Amino acid sequence: MNSINLLLVDDEEQFLSTAKRLMEKRGVSTFVCTNGFDAIRILKERRIDVVLLDLKMPGINGVEVLRKIKQNHPDIEVILLTGHASVESAVEGLKLGAFDYLMKPSTIPDILDKVRDAYERKVAKEEKARKSKVENIIRHPMAVFDKEEE
Amino acid sequence: MNSIIEKTVNFENTRRMILLRVLLVPFVAVMLVFGTLIYYFATNLSGQVSARLAYLAEGQRNLVEQFLLERSADLRYVAASSSLSELSGNGNIKAEFERLQNLSRGFLDLGVFDAEGNHVAYVGPYDLEGKNYAQAEWFKRVQNEEIFISDVFLGYRNIPHFVIAVRRFEGERPWYIRATIDTFFFNDLVENVRIGKTGEAYLVNRNGIFQTRRRSGGNLMEDDPDYIAYQVNQKQTTSFAADDRAGARHLYAVSRLEPTGWLLVVRQEIGDAYAPLLRAVLIAVGIILAGGVAVVTMGFFLATGVSQQLTMADMEKKRMGSQLIMAGKLAEVGEMSAGVAHEINNPLQVMKSEEMLMKDILADIEANGPDQAENFRMLRNSIDQMGAQIDRCGRITQGLLKFARESQTNIQAVDIKTLLPEVIALVERRAHVENVNILQEVQSDLPPIKSDPGQLQQVFLNLINNAMYAVSKMADSGEIRLTAAQEGEDVIISVQDNGCGILPEHIEKIFLPFFTTKPVGQGTGLGLSTCYGIIERLGGDISVSSEVNVGSTFTVRLPISGSPGGKTRSWLNAHEQGGIPK
Repeated sequence: MNSINLLLVDDEEQFLSTAKRLMEKRGVSTFVCTNGFDAIRILKERRIDVVLLDLKMPGINGVEVLRKIKQNHPDIEVILLTGHASVESAVEGLKLGAFDYLMKPSTIPDILDKVRDAYERKVAKEEKARKSKVENIIRHPMAVFDKEEE
Repeated sequence: MNSIIEKTVNFENTRRMILLRVLLVPFVAVMLVFGTLIYYFATNLSGQVSARLAYLAEGQRNLVEQFLLERSADLRYVAASSSLSELSGNGNIKAEFERLQNLSRGFLDLGVFDAEGNHVAYVGPYDLEGKNYAQAEWFKRVQNEEIFISDVFLGYRNIPHFVIAVRRFEGERPWYIRATIDTFFFNDLVENVRIGKTGEAYLVNRNGIFQTRRRSGGNLMEDDPDYIAYQVNQKQTTSFAADDRAGARHLYAVSRLEPTGWLLVVRQEIGDAYAPLLRAVLIAVGIILAGGVAVVTMGFFLATGVSQQLTMADMEKKRMGSQLIMAGKLAEVGEMSAGVAHEINNPLQVMKSEEMLMKDILADIEANGPDQAENFRMLRNSIDQMGAQIDRCGRITQGLLKFARESQTNIQAVDIKTLLPEVIALVERRAHVENVNILQEVQSDLPPIKSDPGQLQQVFLNLINNAMYAVSKMADSGEIRLTAAQEGEDVIISVQDNGCGILPEHIEKIFLPFFTTKPVGQGTGLGLSTCYGIIERLGGDISVSSEVNVGSTFTVRLPISGSPGGKTRSWLNAHEQGGIPK
């Protein structure tokens, strides 16, 4: 199994450094940033599989960041992290295509499990897409052209 | 409470206003209507009274006139049907007299006179035969006229009477026939007229001498002292009011008799004549007065009732106001607790990860032995971090408690210089998250004010929260500027933001309870109304100016002494119950 590339986005720097240390120790390549703008920049520069995204941050808020990620990188799975008492924004996030959400405070093993689930789904989705593409070409070779003609 | 007493005075004015405007003005209108009605009624009725009197006078005149004409005609008939010699003959005159008496009992006697005035024949109760009347007034007059009706005079018999004389020519020689009219019979014709208590009728001649008796004083042939008052020359019946000699005002109707020129006078004392009118007016005035008293009494009770109800409503409003403040406070606590949960969850998340890290390090130490300086350093780091996060949680909860604790007004010396930073500390974290910069410009020598710190905290927290909300709706980074400065006897504290501003149509309503522009579920609409109530209670005021897309400024003015005009002071003193350091 390839190493997971995780991006942590949260404005709590202490949490970022500790979590990064713990995640790396558990074999997850972890990148961190404290706001949404940085996150979008990092996603352009690196191959990231899963994003753990805090919903409430200075500058651009989590939901906006999620929307941008799903626009530019639909394959990347996003897990929302919310400290908010209401789950409204989390639900909104799920509607926008987030993988799942976690309530603060969450333990590192919980976060790790969720990250792995997300990664597996991403891999599975990619595999499925690849397979169906291949199968489609094998079964209906002409379909490739049909679709292009349409 | 003083403030309530002061309000009651205002309602006293309301009461007076109701009494004056709502009752007195319609009352005056009603009075005018009544007055007009009475005036026209009185005019009409008095016209009717004089018309009736005039009608009576005319009728009576006709009666008397007719009587005199009939008697004259009777005599002329006698004169025409006989000659002087026939009448002078024995017994003939007696037969004629009986015939006359059959026609009218008004004839008292009958006499025949030759051209020289010698009484040649007589029938009647007096012994007048043979007397010469050449010098008598009536004889002089009848020589020039065919018929003459005399005024009342005494004559030979020395008794008041009047005569009707007729002239008759036999060839060139005239002779005369004369009849005396029974004074009592004639009197009855006029005197029997009675109107009300004082109404009477009588006759006077051209010189104002009574021709009949007058019931209210005045005998035959006496001068009427009041003649001057009703001397008229018209032929028509006229009616008028005039004073008599004694000063009593009478209503007169006067009519002139054609054959004699006498005046027939019908008169009635004015009070008697207008008695029904007076009674009607008295009744009307009585009704108006009774009605007025009833209206004023009712109005008094009504106005008192209304002012009492207003007082009650005012007290109710005050109670509602304080309940609203409490409700606003509760809502605020609810809203804040959501925010506080969020704020606390962040440090908890940090602690959770530190805990994990410590466990990892401990496992490492257990596996590799105790001699691991780097691991211990990390462990100490984590523990420090835990401590810091716990302090952070503590600050958050303390802020919430401080906000929620005070609910009763608790007046003490408040230092704005320390109060504002405390409030800002409550929202600083959120402000940072939302990219809002909070600036403070507090006058360094600002004196402490007498006020309620808990409630002030609530007000400023609310204003800053609103400002934060307004700023968050703008794309650019926000700025909230808090200024506090002394101005005369007051301290002015303003909260200025560069947020979305308030629409002009909203600005009048923002202090109303439950008015909110926030989406459903995000605001109660109680915040600013609560602020308004609190500041008003504390003797200050709160105002707002705003421009859409530029920002809003809320300005709070608080009296340093905490007692504008002294009324709030006593109200506050009642609540202090000692224990507050001077």
